[in-house]
Amino acid sequence: MNVSYRWLRDMVPGLDLSPEKLAEHLALRGAPVEDISSAGAELGDIVMGVVLDSTQHPNADRLSLCTVDGGHGEVKVVCGAPNVKVGAWYPFAPVGAVLPGNFKIKKSKIRGEVSDGMLCSSKELGLGTEHDGILEIQGEFTAGESFVEAIGLDDATMDVEITANRGDLLSHAGVAREVASEGEGRVELSEIEGDPGIELSFERDAQEARRGPVGVRIDDADLCLRYLGAVIRSVKIGPSPAWLQQRLRGAGARPINNVVDATNFVMLELGQPLHAFDLNGLAGTSIVVRRVREDERSFTTLDGEKRKLTSDMLMICDAERPVAIGGVMGGLDSEVEDDTVDILLECALFDPKSIRSTRKALVMSTDASYRFERGVDPEGMELAMSRAVALIVATAGGEVDGPVLDCCPVAFEAATVDLRLSRIEHLLGVAFEADLVRELLTPLGFDVVGESDGTLQVRVPGFRSYDVRREVDLIEEVARAHGYDNFPSDLGPYRPGTVADHPMFALEDELRQSLAARGLLEAQTPAFVPEGEGDVRVANPLATTEPFIRRAILPSLIRRLEHNFAHGNHDVRLFEIGTSFRSAGSGEPPHEEAHLAAVLHGRREPPHWSSDGAALAVWDLKALLERVAATAYGGAAVVVPGSQEDDTFVAGAAFDVQLADGSVVGRGGLLKGEVVDPPAWAGEIWGLEVTLPSNPGAPEVVTFHPLPQFPAVERDLALLVPDNVWAYDVDALIRIRGGPLLEGVELFDLYRGEAVTQGTRSLAYRLRFRSPDRTLKDKQVDKAVGVILARLKEELSVEQRG
Amino acid sequence: MTEQDPKDALRALEVEALDAIDRAQDPEALEAVRIDYLGRKDGRISAILRGLGSMSPERRPAVGQEANRVKEVVADALQNRERSLAGPASSGIEDLTLPGRGPWKGGLHPVTQAVDEIWHIFRDLGFTRARGPEADTEWYNFEALNTPLDHPAADEQDTLYLVDSVLLRSHTSPVQMRTMETHEPPIRIIAPGWVYRRDTYDATHTPAFMQVEGLVIDEGVTFVDFKATLAEFARRYWGPDTQTRFRPSFFPFTEPSAEVDVKRVITRPDGSKEETDWLEIMGAGMVDPAVLENAGYDAERYTGFAFGMGPARIAMLKHGVDDLRTFFENDVRFLDQFV
Repeated sequence: MNVSYRWLRDMVPGLDLSPEKLAEHLALRGAPVEDISSAGAELGDIVMGVVLDSTQHPNADRLSLCTVDGGHGEVKVVCGAPNVKVGAWYPFAPVGAVLPGNFKIKKSKIRGEVSDGMLCSSKELGLGTEHDGILEIQGEFTAGESFVEAIGLDDATMDVEITANRGDLLSHAGVAREVASEGEGRVELSEIEGDPGIELSFERDAQEARRGPVGVRIDDADLCLRYLGAVIRSVKIGPSPAWLQQRLRGAGARPINNVVDATNFVMLELGQPLHAFDLNGLAGTSIVVRRVREDERSFTTLDGEKRKLTSDMLMICDAERPVAIGGVMGGLDSEVEDDTVDILLECALFDPKSIRSTRKALVMSTDASYRFERGVDPEGMELAMSRAVALIVATAGGEVDGPVLDCCPVAFEAATVDLRLSRIEHLLGVAFEADLVRELLTPLGFDVVGESDGTLQVRVPGFRSYDVRREVDLIEEVARAHGYDNFPSDLGPYRPGTVADHPMFALEDELRQSLAARGLLEAQTPAFVPEGEGDVRVANPLATTEPFIRRAILPSLIRRLEHNFAHGNHDVRLFEIGTSFRSAGSGEPPHEEAHLAAVLHGRREPPHWSSDGAALAVWDLKALLERVAATAYGGAAVVVPGSQEDDTFVAGAAFDVQLADGSVVGRGGLLKGEVVDPPAWAGEIWGLEVTLPSNPGAPEVVTFHPLPQFPAVERDLALLVPDNVWAYDVDALIRIRGGPLLEGVELFDLYRGEAVTQGTRSLAYRLRFRSPDRTLKDKQVDKAVGVILARLKEELSVEQRG
Repeated sequence: MTEQDPKDALRALEVEALDAIDRAQDPEALEAVRIDYLGRKDGRISAILRGLGSMSPERRPAVGQEANRVKEVVADALQNRERSLAGPASSGIEDLTLPGRGPWKGGLHPVTQAVDEIWHIFRDLGFTRARGPEADTEWYNFEALNTPLDHPAADEQDTLYLVDSVLLRSHTSPVQMRTMETHEPPIRIIAPGWVYRRDTYDATHTPAFMQVEGLVIDEGVTFVDFKATLAEFARRYWGPDTQTRFRPSFFPFTEPSAEVDVKRVITRPDGSKEETDWLEIMGAGMVDPAVLENAGYDAERYTGFAFGMGPARIAMLKHGVDDLRTFFENDVRFLDQFV
């Protein structure tokens, strides 16, 4: 909402705050000011100039030679505008003036003729985009007076942010009320210059108000609660007087003509949108308010757009056809034009929900629909109508024909809400006396109409009837009027809550810390992905290239890896914990799981003069995957060689994370060339993705093992293992057959080469034996090793290397 | 002319000696400095120590203590300089100025770090963490939170829909209702999580971002508790001098509603202090009774407050990141800066 500072100041006599101070004030009342601008800030050098004479430039067809009085005697000015008129007033930039864009006016010669200044267009002044001529200003001025003051640009326009519940603040009167309630004065409507002093009478009827040939009828009272129609005859359409134009400009609105400006003025002043119809453009000189009919599915609004209508839209119609989309926009055919003589002025109250659904269906928003959607004051309609009629008669002449036709199927009744002083204290933590509550609420328009047993009966004014309906709404008003900052802020005792910290957070924290400690950097990527990477489609995606939400995190990380490659980053180790979405059937919310993914490329260790700079290998990936699996699932998960071909990992260089029931909850390994687009210098790229348990249990409790009292005996075995035997089976067999004395098994070397038989490799294990209650003798250990070697030979054809 | 205090003379000698040690460019020059100050026969510090015997017994201990201190300082400096002039090769040990060896450094994303800092403060204030689905229904995202779908407030967060009434949550507030449905008061939670809006990527908007929700419900929770808790959070996050300002605002699920602003005090490198402008950090308010009733709570008995903030925005302010999109690029040179 654009608020004119001058307008506001005129409405609150005694208001003595700068625009900046006022902005601070409004922020603390819940209406922060986004921006303060002044259209005239750069136009201080421009004066009003009148053209006294204009002749053809002797040397140029398109130029004229004007005599201009700019307050310092007559000067000659060369002008290129086609619309220059003798006797008209224009913004004039004398020699030495500076225009927006630091454009300096110098004395110059144009085609041989001296030009002592410039007559300006609105574009040159930064006031508009029209460049088709110089800006003619209607009215009477003094040559040389400040242009900015003459047209009211010496104003500050404040862009006030109004929350969705405060439709009543979408007017200068509403904002003024907030300002005035702080003790800055009271709200007064300014006097209209040339106010004819008309006392309107209203002819009210619940169904149809009619007088002579003119009638107003509401057929759909659920969508239109009241409709006032005033007939003004013999108006003369023309430009508004300067003061009215100034007001509108200060509030960021563009003057159009006296009748339209009058309706806009009243909307900006009181918040009531109005519409003027050319009465003679209405068939049967009547208004019927009703829903769209079957045969009326298209309508041209006054902006020239052809709109598609649907059956639930409310239209303002004449006796035959729609002439406006109720509360949204008027129609092209019944618009007030320069030759309009008789008008019907509409002041109506529409159902906010209907306006909202209509303007959403039409994908449009107007000043009127914006206000109706947020609620217009049902008690302010007569005043708005009176102001508009007075303004029109004052600026366009004409006569009011008869009483205002007032069709009112649903009369507004103000609500009275009970407000308990005890409840105020209960919610706000501070006790308020009845007198103070009255003092705080009254300036905002509330009326304390009764008081009994610590309960106040508060009448809610019409303009607050949309957002103040309950006791708690009044309590907010008390808090707001008292000032949030005036409440104490002392931390009191509190009880712990009943909600346990969700175990997923602890698991995620542990995984993050664990991977960060292993040298990985955490990434965050948005969930939106292209087709093929997700099952769940967004119905109204912003980017048509990414209309899905992802089922896996790894592809997003691969894109980030490529981004890093593109920026020359060689060593990239990223991980992310995010949500995977899978379709759960039609109409159902998708199934969600937390996933952890990682992608790795580059050296195992930071570059160091002592290091060989080896790249990350399959064993690094395997250990990382084991770490993730163990953290997420404890002992329930094992990492085994990949069992299935898949689209992401290279067969033979991939692993599965397997649970005891055989289900696979994660994969990792060497990424296939198809899934990543690396530069030529890149090496092997590793990735993993693990589904995290949805409700992780408490971490396993560690049970203490007493430390050994007796020394261990170690034996090294070099075994020739045929290539078709898995190391896992050799290890498992040693452990099973090792007997109770075998404490540990460690693989410390792997050799393949000339010294060992073709088709086998040498695996060297260190076995550690220990007894809990005595020092072992060699004989006992020899016996145990003998058993192991015998079983290895028999079950796996593994022999000891000679 | 009065005689100079021997302690002042010692301090002057100390400064002079250390300077001479620094200027010595080879072992011979350094040896000369040593003899000059600490030489047994003519060393200038040695001479003062020797002269202690002739001093009055009252002055002797103080001067003696100072002389010994200076002697030690100078001897240490001589030894250090000797080592550095000798270099590693001559002493037969490793060149310990070579870089050390260690594993890669990893770290958490700056937005995660902000979430963690926020969580740790609220944990200390007695909160636990709750979570809910990211794809949720209109009921939980809007209607249960007293936001009718036909009210303009439902527009303010342009929502991404999946199908029918299923949407990607536009705020973490659905977790409020989901938590209240399954738990009895007192409730004292925060709910960090992803939220989604139909926003184009620009410097201050991304269609997905983290939010941290908070909810407190109990008997006797008032507007004063609300203000006090959030002001305490702000002081713990931004420092004890941080001021907090509560401005009236509108959220359908809180009444009264507020925007919370903070004004930080920044200490400049020269030690002087500077106040920042007011920065908007969260939306908050007292839980609307309609929300409590939707959860099946007795709204006459229980009151509470709720709040929501954006850790990415807080991280931007904290680290001086000027474009939100930087957080999503995940360039390792960027992430490395927060390790």
